Amino acid sequence: MEPPAARDYTATPEGHEEAPSWPWGRRPLRSGRALAGAWLMVVAMPGAAAPFAYITNQGSNDVSVIDLALHQVVATVAVGHAPAGVVAASRAGKVFVSNPDSKTISVIDMRTQRVVGTLPAGSGPVGIDAAPDGTRLFVADWYANRVLAFDTATGTALPSIDVGRAPAGVAVDTSGATVYVAERDDDSVAAIDVATSRVRGRVKVGTHPFALLVDERRERLYALNVVSNDISVIDTRRLEVIATVKVGKAPYGAALTRDGALLYVTNQHDDSVSVVDAERLEAVRTLPGFGYPEGVAAHADRVYVVNWMDDDVSVLDAASGRTLTRIATGKNSRGFGAFIGAPLSP
Amino acid sequence: MLKRLAIRWLQPALALAALGGAVALPADAHGPTRQKVIETVKIAAPASVVWAKVRNFDALKDWHPAVEASAADKGNAEGSERKVALKGGGALVETLERYDDAQMRYSYRAKDGGALPVTNYTSTISVSGEGNATTVEWRGAFYRGYPNNDPPPDKNDEAAVKAVTGMYQSGLANLKKLVEGK
Repeated sequence: MEPPAARDYTATPEGHEEAPSWPWGRRPLRSGRALAGAWLMVVAMPGAAAPFAYITNQGSNDVSVIDLALHQVVATVAVGHAPAGVVAASRAGKVFVSNPDSKTISVIDMRTQRVVGTLPAGSGPVGIDAAPDGTRLFVADWYANRVLAFDTATGTALPSIDVGRAPAGVAVDTSGATVYVAERDDDSVAAIDVATSRVRGRVKVGTHPFALLVDERRERLYALNVVSNDISVIDTRRLEVIATVKVGKAPYGAALTRDGALLYVTNQHDDSVSVVDAERLEAVRTLPGFGYPEGVAAHADRVYVVNWMDDDVSVLDAASGRTLTRIATGKNSRGFGAFIGAPLSP
Repeated sequence: MLKRLAIRWLQPALALAALGGAVALPADAHGPTRQKVIETVKIAAPASVVWAKVRNFDALKDWHPAVEASAADKGNAEGSERKVALKGGGALVETLERYDDAQMRYSYRAKDGGALPVTNYTSTISVSGEGNATTVEWRGAFYRGYPNNDPPPDKNDEAAVKAVTGMYQSGLANLKKLVEGK
């Protein structure tokens, strides 16, 4: 399949809503580079870069940027239409947001919290993930049954990979050599070999897998099945399901705590979060009181849960599961993906 | 410190940019996005009294003015199927997914919205309050009736939100009237 046309980050977006949000009006980054340089000196001082959570707000077409040191929204960035997927690619210093309705990827500079580019992205981009070194970006193209690939430095489209029906969640392994994609309507997960841009294996999972999460320490992949209400635990060396863990209704997002001991899983239809012991592979606790929770990510000793119904983010203590505070975000918040990051040098 | 100040200073500008963007949004073709409706009503009565009125899954016909019949095959047991017939025609089939008498809430779902122009519809009704001040919240999550690009006007996002909002508002207003006796 022909890859979409390459697009330079500095190119003007096709429309409208993704215009660069410089305070003094539209200004292409190319001519504003000197200015941007000055800006970087201000925000990129050593020790000043606290991690941020980038929460996609599907109902308000923007991203709430939460400073995790302050637990406050410090910027609201207008992106494309109905943003859903997100990956904070720290090594690239950029955040990539999938906009299924405008069929684009918005690129946010982590240092300035500004949109610096827009990439055309097939027919309906959803799940999105970046290689750990930040050089490659992979995006599930829902309606076209393929995974799109991009060079993050230039925004150039690389050859796409044909996969099964309704590709949803995407996860790149730690080496960057394999990309996993949940083929929702085929009830399977495909493993893509990045070097050859081909599917090298496939494994059947539960019913309607949507989100995926790599467990680096255990060489595992978790596939969350929204219809069978369970998690398929896949041994990534053999590409086989080794266990199935029952959780709540419509599990949508998963995150591992920093020590890797606990897996936090959001259950959309139960308004709850399941806490799974990642060694014993069983749910040890169910936390109530969330609002149609979707995305979840962990940082330090905290877990951040995005409440789609309530338009906010719950901040939990990772060990106890206790809610410490809630942070108001935009409308219909999703945060589908690895939404926490801090700019690092590549 | 400098950084924090700088970012705060930038915030209003970003908000303005966001506003400008919203105005320029095109009404172009796109796939479905999940929508939601949250409606609440305050009722001057103890929560237990209000809950007694709505607690039975099959009692919808007793308090919703648009509902003719709402028989459920397994009462308040999870998996119970409720066949809702609307006055003036139209039907919905809803399945009880979660029932919590102590928390005074239940959730149900419908794969096909039937009379409502929605799909993959889930809904929760909950009662809470103190003393004589009770709040009833009814909320739903759903996709529009037309699953593909270019929906006809009667099956687009706006039509879906409007229909569910209307159903919740009329039901809650009538519940308030019934309980408060006004």
